[in-house]
Amino acid sequence: MGGAVSDSAHREMWEKLDLDLNAHDALLGVLGKFYGDIYLSQENRLQGAEYLDFVLSEIHGLRIKELQEAKAEGRKVVGSFCVFVPEEITLALDAIHVGLCAGAEAGSDLAEQLIPRNTCALIKSFIGFKLAKLCPFLESSDMIVGETTCDGKKKAYEAFNELVPTYIMEVPQTKSKAAHTLWKSEVLRYMAELEKVTGRTITPEKLKKGIRTANAKRRALQRLTTLRAASPAPISGRDALLINQISFYDEPVRFTAKINELCDELENRVESNEGIAPENAPRLMLSGCPMAVPNWKLPYVIESSGAVIVGEESCIGTRNTRDLVDESGETVEDMIDAIVDRYMKIDCACFTPNDDRLENVTALAKDIKADGVIHYSLLFCQPYLHEALKVDKALQAEGIPMLSIETDYSMEDVEQLKTRIEAFVETLE
Amino acid sequence: MIVGLDIGSRSIELVGLVDGVTELTLRVPTTFDPISQCTKLLDGLRPASLVGTGYGRNLIQRLDLGCELSTITEIKAHALGAMHFFPQARTVLDIGGQDTKAISLAKGKVVKFEMNDRCAAGTGKFLEYTAGVFQISIENFGEYALKGQNPPEISSICTVFAETEATSLMARGEHPESIAMGLHKAIVKRTVNMLNRVSLNFPMVFSGGVANNPCVLKLLAEEINAVLGTDILVPQEPDMVGAMGAALHGNTNC
Amino acid sequence: MDIKHFINFSELSISDLHTWKEEGGKVAGVYCIYAPIELIRAAGVAQVSLCGKKQAPIKEAERDLPASLCPLIKSSYGYALNGTCPFFTASDILIAETTCDGKKKMYELMGKLKPLHLMHLPHTQQGTAPFEYWMMSLRELEDFLFECSKVKVSAEGLHNQIVLQNKIRNELYQIAILAANEKSPLTARDMLAIQESKSFAVFPDKYLARLTALRTSLATFLKQPNLPASQSLRILMTGCPVGKGSEKTIRITEELGARVVCMENCSGLKGMTLPVDETGDPHEALARRYLKIPCSCMTPNQSRLESIEEMVSTFKVDAIMDMTWIGCHTYNAESTTLQRFVEKKLKIPFLHIETDYSESDTEQLRTRIEAFIELS
Repeated sequence: MGGAVSDSAHREMWEKLDLDLNAHDALLGVLGKFYGDIYLSQENRLQGAEYLDFVLSEIHGLRIKELQEAKAEGRKVVGSFCVFVPEEITLALDAIHVGLCAGAEAGSDLAEQLIPRNTCALIKSFIGFKLAKLCPFLESSDMIVGETTCDGKKKAYEAFNELVPTYIMEVPQTKSKAAHTLWKSEVLRYMAELEKVTGRTITPEKLKKGIRTANAKRRALQRLTTLRAASPAPISGRDALLINQISFYDEPVRFTAKINELCDELENRVESNEGIAPENAPRLMLSGCPMAVPNWKLPYVIESSGAVIVGEESCIGTRNTRDLVDESGETVEDMIDAIVDRYMKIDCACFTPNDDRLENVTALAKDIKADGVIHYSLLFCQPYLHEALKVDKALQAEGIPMLSIETDYSMEDVEQLKTRIEAFVETLE
Repeated sequence: MIVGLDIGSRSIELVGLVDGVTELTLRVPTTFDPISQCTKLLDGLRPASLVGTGYGRNLIQRLDLGCELSTITEIKAHALGAMHFFPQARTVLDIGGQDTKAISLAKGKVVKFEMNDRCAAGTGKFLEYTAGVFQISIENFGEYALKGQNPPEISSICTVFAETEATSLMARGEHPESIAMGLHKAIVKRTVNMLNRVSLNFPMVFSGGVANNPCVLKLLAEEINAVLGTDILVPQEPDMVGAMGAALHGNTNC
Repeated sequence: MDIKHFINFSELSISDLHTWKEEGGKVAGVYCIYAPIELIRAAGVAQVSLCGKKQAPIKEAERDLPASLCPLIKSSYGYALNGTCPFFTASDILIAETTCDGKKKMYELMGKLKPLHLMHLPHTQQGTAPFEYWMMSLRELEDFLFECSKVKVSAEGLHNQIVLQNKIRNELYQIAILAANEKSPLTARDMLAIQESKSFAVFPDKYLARLTALRTSLATFLKQPNLPASQSLRILMTGCPVGKGSEKTIRITEELGARVVCMENCSGLKGMTLPVDETGDPHEALARRYLKIPCSCMTPNQSRLESIEEMVSTFKVDAIMDMTWIGCHTYNAESTTLQRFVEKKLKIPFLHIETDYSESDTEQLRTRIEAFIELS
């Protein structure tokens, strides 16, 4: 890849999407450099990482071209910011489900004219990407779906809606029966809306296929999670995070096949006791807010301190892959119920109470044999900041040490983060 | 000789141990050229092993010494140093130039720690900056503040805004000594929050340059209901604790 | 104009609470105007607002809560922890609500101190599913209240409370209009006390009589000839709730010679013009009214803009000051929308102030507000 993510062959397409070409070039330049430093510098990487490198190098290139070709054939693109938007339904309507750009500091000065400065980096980023015309996924989307998972997003979508029409799903704040009912009506409303957008109708066969495709993707990622329990750790946390990140962008069937191949390779490694890090390297688990591409700052700092990350408890991690949709339903109604049940198992900090998460965090930490947990909250993310204190207590009760980190996308605190993380790693030795 | 070098944001401290006994303690300001400051400190010394700590700990890799080099974080260094001076220590509070650390110890190990976030609020820098507003040297600022009475509440913990707040209190006619005391109190309050988060146990060792400040000491003891000398222990040279810890780390390694 | 009764209202209501409790009455502590007082009273429970307007308890709260939360949440939790809020002490139960992330997660901790019921609000006022969700939430509250008081809410009892509270809201609104008269002797801080009193009325009938008396005497007072008329700039204040202890912005504004004539926030007039429909099923009418409250937790929240527009004309407002607490994501986010609306549609000056309970920015605020008054 040679560090160059940009490809001049795609310029015409980007121009059509009305991207700011100069700023976009600059972004790809930084991304390429960043990727080179953080990813390509790793030793002893997997063969399967070639797929990751390729997808990432073409993330704004070939993948967008594929989207354009699909659109030309009459398929629609749904862009979203959150794991609550039911992918099964999108797939069943033959539409393409993609995550939108939210992982880099881009256009944040512009964003601050629309939303408060004290908004988390992720929200500022997606508003900034739109204002600075840098996200080709967003510009390719036929339907953009937001959701009411937190105060910051809920209100930011009002501003976003003025820039580009945004459909909002109401996520309830608890998991009672009434909340299930509300969520089911929201899932059905999404289905009806997307039927309108695509001009297609849901059938039991299509929905079943959509469920199977999404489940297969989750199963491949579950397999990856399980393999990482091995010691020495067979894959770096950075690469594992990247796999989870790519799962939001690439075509799901291709992605699933590639990740299963990669897992075969990992199995061989585990069998021959090979690792990416020495057997005695401290094993850390990340927990908390999602890390969207290219937010690799914390994993890089952690793995540069001699530790290895063995799991990610986040929406770009196990929170999104842990639960499958029951596949036994035969009618649309049954399958929708199964989808509703599955999504209401997501242990997002937006729920109250959310004690499931405490159990899930400790269980995962034990399963993957983590020596310690690093809780990551974005600055100003109140739900996860609150829960950091609770997770700490829950882990303490199990004798697992935790370090709480609150940061954003900027690089100014890297040195300080290094000190804290190295000190944490020292306490584990 | 085993040398511990604590390269902080404001000063660099060196401790040299021979057979576990302190032979040498040195200190210079960090300046913009910490490498040559380190070279100056090490001039004529031939350590068998050198351990770096503090913000600039990785700079030791660039020193041409030909001895065994290693680094530890200032958290571990302060813990080791504090336990060396006071083996019974359960908590360490270090207020340094640009960060504050609260460390909880059990069985000779760090069990939990807290550090201030990226800004310099509530650190030595805060005092240095505000002492400047009073045109008083940082060394005498604590004594000066002790003369204050009924200190006004300074609610801003931001170094920059605290100055504005202090200035507006002066405009309102508050006594400068009392304002100075209020500023000290603001630091102490923030520190206590941090100590509570790691769960404060006595005795607590107070290290770092700010431990020399009599006003911070007095207010801190009041705020956490502690007795100076038994609950709060201050080493002879509190700013040497980090370098001492680093040197001790080298010692056990060899 | 004798408003001493209202100035000392919260102190007086403590003795009322004692009387109420001695007679076996139960008390619910609440934090928010989404708490449906009609339902709570119909279940035989008295409702009081809990403390959360002062800086002092914040330090204690920060042990358990992220420091970046708004001061209102931290202060409320700090009071609950340190036992210095007499209303919290007097409360048998707490009624909380999911209006924002900070509060909803804080309530998880507060629920360990006293029996707490969390009302689940939808995020939107649109559509039938969110409404039904809210109806269900009120049913759950009713069950919780029954557990406490063993009083079953009857349709008639609820209707009576609705009629009574409609009257109280109307009196408060009429008083606010009279108080905003250029000849009125009442200051914004007087009005703050009067509006705050609604949250501490243990005996609503008695309270209504007091309000009526105040309204009548204010009206009589204003009929006097040759009263001096204030020429001050008339300001509408909106944003986050304010109370005794957190009123520094109002204080500074008044010190600078401008008048806050109207407060469109939940400690002021928010919801005062929304009566509960007295015909039809009282439960449903109640749910409809409460869901109409123009709180920033709703998306979209167009009705807040409409409500402000209406108040600007009713109260002859010259300028708008939007005061929000640092850490309050939803009101801070709405400020941008509101500013555009005020400047483009209402065409009057707008100032956004983001602050907290500390006095650290007093001088800076004074400068900003003074400059705002100069240009208005």
